Amino acid sequence: MNERSAERRGQSAEEPSIPPSALRPPPSVFRIATRDELWLRGRLVERRLLHGEAIEDEHGIIATDSRDDALVAICDREMGRMHDAMPRDARVRLVATASTDDTSSARMVERSSTMTIGLRGLSIVTSPEHASTDYALLREIGDFEPAAEAIDYHGIPIVWRNGSAAVLLHEAIGHAKEHDHAPIDLPPWLHVDVPLRMRRATFSDVPLLRMTTLVVSGGQAILPAPSIEILLIAGGEYEPLTQTITLHIAAADFGGHRLPPFEIRESREAVARAIIGAEGETLRYPGVVCSREGQELVVGSYAPVMVTLFA
Amino acid sequence: MKEIYRKRGYVVRWENGTLVRVSESGVAIEDGELFTCEPEPGDVPTLTNAQLTIPDLDVKIERLIVSHGIAEHEFDGRTWTEETHRVHLSIVNGRIRALVDLFDDIERVAHALKRADQQEREAPKHLVLAPNLSAALLPSLPNVEQMAGGIDGKGREIGEAYGENWYRPSYRVRPIRMPLNLRLRHKETAIDPDLPRAVALLAHPDGLTIRVLIEDGARVYPSTVHVGKIEAVSENVLWYPYAGGSFGAEMML
Repeated sequence: MNERSAERRGQSAEEPSIPPSALRPPPSVFRIATRDELWLRGRLVERRLLHGEAIEDEHGIIATDSRDDALVAICDREMGRMHDAMPRDARVRLVATASTDDTSSARMVERSSTMTIGLRGLSIVTSPEHASTDYALLREIGDFEPAAEAIDYHGIPIVWRNGSAAVLLHEAIGHAKEHDHAPIDLPPWLHVDVPLRMRRATFSDVPLLRMTTLVVSGGQAILPAPSIEILLIAGGEYEPLTQTITLHIAAADFGGHRLPPFEIRESREAVARAIIGAEGETLRYPGVVCSREGQELVVGSYAPVMVTLFA
Repeated sequence: MKEIYRKRGYVVRWENGTLVRVSESGVAIEDGELFTCEPEPGDVPTLTNAQLTIPDLDVKIERLIVSHGIAEHEFDGRTWTEETHRVHLSIVNGRIRALVDLFDDIERVAHALKRADQQEREAPKHLVLAPNLSAALLPSLPNVEQMAGGIDGKGREIGEAYGENWYRPSYRVRPIRMPLNLRLRHKETAIDPDLPRAVALLAHPDGLTIRVLIEDGARVYPSTVHVGKIEAVSENVLWYPYAGGSFGAEMML
């Protein structure tokens, strides 16, 4: 093993030669403030404030926890909106974030207000605008205990309801695109829009090329058939080495009964081959908080009702 | 009663080719069931001679994070300082990923990974787990002990009383009681050097099931080991940054 020192006495052995200042791009400056709170059945149990700044140039990133009052004020206002919208009989995590990422005088503030509501072992990710309807959906889903036997999903049509097909394609298409993996052949009637940009969760993170949203559209008539109906997904993973996806299904029905939680594990080519229909309006899936390299970011996720059939 | 903890720290981190220097200070307060924390201006310590050793390997590196940090802690009138060196490396051969969390393991794991077959094989009935693998397993094993040494998240000496100390990896995390400095002792300490040897962690353990890379003579192959009866554990230990600290040792199954 050969070794080299990346930093000795504050100097990097890897530093490129530095061009004259007139030719150097200005350093990028990222600033962020985040407030988060955890509420258990209406009682506040955790409250955090985080803020900081990351200045990046050809030498790397210098990150400090300096405060931008305007960003903190935005978080405070967003937190107030979430307090008004949150249910008092569930586990609720509220996260308000405001950030700027500018290299010039233009100051574009990106903000997000995320509410993760958990009830009876299930959870959704929502916003103040949609909290009421999404919580009603969660309660409705949570009213049913698993009553059916576990089944092998292969050979049975799967209907992806509530926009949940966006999570399937988040793993099979979105993460593959982040890793610059070759596109897969989707049905010609299906369109997936998944813009990427450099994003980071906080000031001490290295920005990564990440999804911002994933929107599935297009239609192909769905033939009625006995099917597994996916209602809510607990999480998913994309394994870049094998290009396989794993989805943890939290709630799904079959034959009018709730199935026990199960996993779907497939190659992404198998996912592409399995898509046989989609119809109706594009639905907002209540929440994807995507974690990669330990950085959790919200990805807006939208899809119509979709049908797959895995061989 | 309010419990107030302060931390001021500086970390230099090499993350997949980007050098990051982070300085921050903050305060965390526990008041009954309420935990709060926020940044608090303060004099942050610095590292005048930060040392990051970047391995230069002839295997594909998927992820490389190397860091050197210093932190000053304050709790209940006590102050203490710690300096840390960490590495997290994930290297790849085909469809096999090996995870490394100690500098001294890098060369050995990379050498084995380069020679590995892609085909998964059944694990031999008897084999030796290298210290990096046993360390990863300790948090899931029964009958482990806590070794004395160091300071916990509330400024207390870490003794041998199991589970009486506090784990606080960051000022933003509510401290929890948990065993630190785990170690497994066994009455048998002799390790058979001729047994096949599991040398690399291919995924984090799932309970007592662990995916490993096994060296068996000239063959190196991936396998899954379900840890059952432990025949012997060496007395020579190495510290690994798993859970609240874990002392790995050669373990014969």
